[in-house]
Amino acid sequence: MKKAVIYVNQFFGQIGGEEQAGISPQIHEAQIGPAMQFAKELDAEVTHTIICGDNYMGSNTEEAVAEILGMLEGKEFDIFLAGPAFQAGRYTVACGTICKAVKEKFGVPVVTSMNSETPGVDMFKKDMYILQGGNIASKMRKDVKAMARVANKLLNGEPVGSADEEGYFARGIRHQTWLSDGKPASERMIDMLIKKLNGEPFETELPIPKRDMVPIAPAVKDLKKAKIALVNTGGIVPADNPDRIQSASATRWGRYDISDTEALKGGEYKTIHAGFDPAAADADPNVITPVDALKVLEKEEFFGSLHPYFYTTVGTGTTEAEARRMAKEMVPYFQEDNVDAVIMVST
Amino acid sequence: MRLEIGNFYVKDIVFGNELSLKDGVLMINKEEALQFVRGDDRITEAELYIAKPGDKIRLCPVKEAIEPRIRPDGRSIFPGYTGDLAKAGEGVTYALKNCSVLVAGRHWGGFQDGVIDMSGEGQKYTYFGQLNNIVLVADTNEEFERNEQQKKNDALRRAGHKLAEYIGACVKELTPEETEVYELGAMIRRGPETEKLPSVVYVMQPQSQMEEMGYNDLVYGWDMNHVVPTVMHPNEILDGAMVSGSFMPVSSKWSTYDFQNCPNIKALYGEHGKTINFLGVIMSNLNVALEQKERAALFVAQIAKSLGADGAVVAEEGYGNPDADFVGCIVALENAGVKTVGITNECTGRDGQSQPLVTLDEKCDAIVSCGNVSQLIELPPMETVLGELQALARDGLSGGWADDEILGPSVREDGSIIMENNSMFCGDQVCGWSPKTMKEF
Repeated sequence: MKKAVIYVNQFFGQIGGEEQAGISPQIHEAQIGPAMQFAKELDAEVTHTIICGDNYMGSNTEEAVAEILGMLEGKEFDIFLAGPAFQAGRYTVACGTICKAVKEKFGVPVVTSMNSETPGVDMFKKDMYILQGGNIASKMRKDVKAMARVANKLLNGEPVGSADEEGYFARGIRHQTWLSDGKPASERMIDMLIKKLNGEPFETELPIPKRDMVPIAPAVKDLKKAKIALVNTGGIVPADNPDRIQSASATRWGRYDISDTEALKGGEYKTIHAGFDPAAADADPNVITPVDALKVLEKEEFFGSLHPYFYTTVGTGTTEAEARRMAKEMVPYFQEDNVDAVIMVST
Repeated sequence: MRLEIGNFYVKDIVFGNELSLKDGVLMINKEEALQFVRGDDRITEAELYIAKPGDKIRLCPVKEAIEPRIRPDGRSIFPGYTGDLAKAGEGVTYALKNCSVLVAGRHWGGFQDGVIDMSGEGQKYTYFGQLNNIVLVADTNEEFERNEQQKKNDALRRAGHKLAEYIGACVKELTPEETEVYELGAMIRRGPETEKLPSVVYVMQPQSQMEEMGYNDLVYGWDMNHVVPTVMHPNEILDGAMVSGSFMPVSSKWSTYDFQNCPNIKALYGEHGKTINFLGVIMSNLNVALEQKERAALFVAQIAKSLGADGAVVAEEGYGNPDADFVGCIVALENAGVKTVGITNECTGRDGQSQPLVTLDEKCDAIVSCGNVSQLIELPPMETVLGELQALARDGLSGGWADDEILGPSVREDGSIIMENNSMFCGDQVCGWSPKTMKEF
């Protein structure tokens, strides 16, 4: 049978209330407090209960985490559960903190539960399954059941349903799924349209997330001294595409030496971007990466100097996450060469 | 305007010595049909196959799907494209139902082409997995684009449209099993009962991103890149005024079959006179330059307002750059006081963690979502492949790749495949079929 370890605070670990919140972690080869109900609900044996004071975890986080990870070292377990933490602020943060650490160190799935009004939710919902829990401890039975339902799917290798179906906080992950009733988009559209027209509540299938805006950088103070770099997502590469950058949904990027190049020549450079008509860019790659103009402006001392490489990837179908990763990989090159500003050419 | 579509249900397709429909069995004289196809001297190699639901068949690279039809009065089924310009949307059209003509490349594919599975796990990813299909697999002498990633596919696509009309002719003298009637009078003369209801326009954004002609969707044979938004009667769309193009990752595309059967239009028709007053269609586009996008949004909002629309539905044929048109159009409509619902797919990445559309606006508060273009799909080998499976890996299909450090090639030696949903033929079905949605995990 698979094995589970449960984490609870001093109160649910039956040590005491606020006066005991400073206790350091302890591990018991027993089922204490909620662990007893988990033992009934889980498709796993609950082998250990870990108890730690909320204040100790809050004020000595590094030590508390290190001690608990040490206690788990060498123990066999297939899943780690913390809480339920209800609306207890410090407890929710403790559950999130220890679940994240255990998941990272031991690679086992972790599940916790907390009320939506607590700080732990926003801090940790992207890292783990956090069930939407009740606000008071009388919801214990319900919250443990909800946690166990998800935990059992993880234990049995079954797919975990959507956030709505399972009752956990959405983790910022969106996937396509087949509707159980097979209701086509046209009918869903009609339902939504009529509700919206009649001023009735409706549920969009694409909630618009909070804006993730990057503020526009302040203007370059002294262009005469500035070192400028050129980056593009228009797929301009040497004709043999040496870095094998994909034409769509790119995961690769390249940088190409232009220190001795006055302008990019068609035939020597081309675009491998598959999302627009390539004719103009193939004929004159400078329309996307204006090396020609920048070299002239550099000579005319309009700006300080041009960074000796231009950087390329492809934007079409490329996800925001991949784009961010690639940008992070480019940045050290700019920093190393003391680049002051980057011209980012899209298409 | 009144359109009658006379339906003939196809239960089976066989090859035989004549072209006929008897008791639901469509018989095609293969040699004669192929001879007809070869009438275009650009076609160098052609073969016909039958692909029905449950068959162990994988098709790749699929370029177009068309419902076989005929007009008893002799007008072409795609006026301005397969025949002379004439009015569409009025009179009688006959259609072979549960049936489509699919066109696949014998060898060569491109960015805009896709995959269809007729059985197994892959069947559910396209609408065409559930239809009785006549499959034209052919090659052409269009050398200029043989190794291009973007292909016009002109000879093959035209062959498909003509073949659909050729096959449809077999019911010209027959009586349809049932007749669907689509009738909408002048917008300002609908009668007090209907005019009491909230009035709604359907805004279509068909593909028009290519500056060079030959790739974009056509309206009466005219390239959609050269159109500013205009009013169309919904019957025109259901009756062959629109022909699909050859650009955009294919899961986002609307095939000609999708235009001919557009479920969103049929659903709005279904509510007309009951809960809404369906005014008609505003046909917009998806041109690439920002000014063109802004101009289109201005036109759409102005037309909707001038027509007195209370509500609008906006659907985009694409993702990425077209998301700007989609969101811009919805925002313009909302700013004009028109309550708007959008229909789209999303690009949230293989891990589902990326921003769903390239631009977002909080005014887009009512969206029907039809799928994730970048979802990874792994499918076992299929007994029969029509076309050339290697095209998925070799020819730059939007959801395929030659090799990948972690995933390996899209097409494996045993015939199994791994691909992004991007290359499922018209898989996201934003035209209204889509049984998929997007959920938070």
